Amino acid sequence: MKTNLIVFASLGLLIGVPPLLAHHSFAAEYDGNKPVTVKGTITKVAWVNPHSYLYVSVKDESGQTAVWAFETSSPNALERRGWTRHAVKEGDQVTIEGYRAKDNAKLADGSIHANARSIVMADGRKVFAGSSADDGGPAAK
Amino acid sequence: MHFEGRSALRKYSISLLVSAGAMLVVSHLVPAPAAAQSANQGKSAAKGQPAKGEGKGGPGGGMLIGPNGDREAVPPPTGPTPRTANGKPDLTGVWFAPKTIRGEPPSMTPWAEAILKSRNPKDDPELHCLPAGVPRMTPYPYKFIQTPAVLVMLFEANIHSYRQVFLDGRGHDPDPDPSWYGDSIGRWEGDSLLVDTIGFNDKFWFDFAGHPHTEDLHITERYRRPDLGHLEVQITIVDPKAYTKPWVINRVSNLSTNWEIHEYICNEFNVDTEHVVGR
Repeated sequence: MKTNLIVFASLGLLIGVPPLLAHHSFAAEYDGNKPVTVKGTITKVAWVNPHSYLYVSVKDESGQTAVWAFETSSPNALERRGWTRHAVKEGDQVTIEGYRAKDNAKLADGSIHANARSIVMADGRKVFAGSSADDGGPAAK
Repeated sequence: MHFEGRSALRKYSISLLVSAGAMLVVSHLVPAPAAAQSANQGKSAAKGQPAKGEGKGGPGGGMLIGPNGDREAVPPPTGPTPRTANGKPDLTGVWFAPKTIRGEPPSMTPWAEAILKSRNPKDDPELHCLPAGVPRMTPYPYKFIQTPAVLVMLFEANIHSYRQVFLDGRGHDPDPDPSWYGDSIGRWEGDSLLVDTIGFNDKFWFDFAGHPHTEDLHITERYRRPDLGHLEVQITIVDPKAYTKPWVINRVSNLSTNWEIHEYICNEFNVDTEHVVGR
């Protein structure tokens, strides 16, 4: 029995771990062992429940372009952490750190599916993109 | 609970214990690192895991926050318990950052253990934008509006729904249709509001792990507002077909002075549901 895990879990509760994703756990959908960092251009901001999505157009070394869809928290949770729907907009150059979906399957719209943890904005600021800094997945770096 | 030593079961047992110990009724309060850690079992030293103490920031220190700062970091106000005209504590307010304190792990019947083991997160009703029921709570704020005759609970999430607790002295509906939030009546005992709820359906899960219940579920909640800024509740879950003894948890929420509850229409863009693969 991994007692250390249990202790760690209990400790986390005692010190008041911030909330995680509201309606699914990180681990049920995303893989903490598949970190990704992509740099590209925002093509769409879906400011919508239950999770907002940032769509980023990314060009790889061979010149091929792919669109990534990064899940973030809900608009309400993001706003409480200092976001607005105008914070990131179409055409912005960003670098997003996150984690790939476990199933490797694309979303129905053909985009590559991932979960965002932090974003380096066009002006160089690095900001948080999840529902909290400790929301069920690996912490934002 | 008894577990065998096979690795798959061990992995499961960890998440189960985490559930029992912490996730419990409050899926969103699951110690996130633990949930992720169980997923990483057997792989190299918990790659991708936050170091202890890293949760509020990162290796460089300092909390990563949104582009405009952290607008939720307003501490609850201090002051005496507000009271209504009839002298009872007034539980009205927008309540935020609910923290649940676990009690004893639940003592499950064989039926409940079997159900729990058979469940997969992809089938969690809440994932499909159905209610989280009672007393599961989301990390989003909720609002209480209290009148002498009724306490109304408005949830931003828990699918943007509500509960009504009747305080006018009526009894329970003698034959309630089984429902997601049940039939609630309340009465004052000193400065505590005792809320008694029956008439639940058996569809909602208590947590991401899938702790089950039956239609015999009976929940009592003892609410206190010890001061202006805090709302406390002790929740007792009784369901003899699923749990061999009452399961008690406590929760404390803070009064928000700078937020209202907002819309949360879960079905609008629930595009990731089909990509939830399991534990």
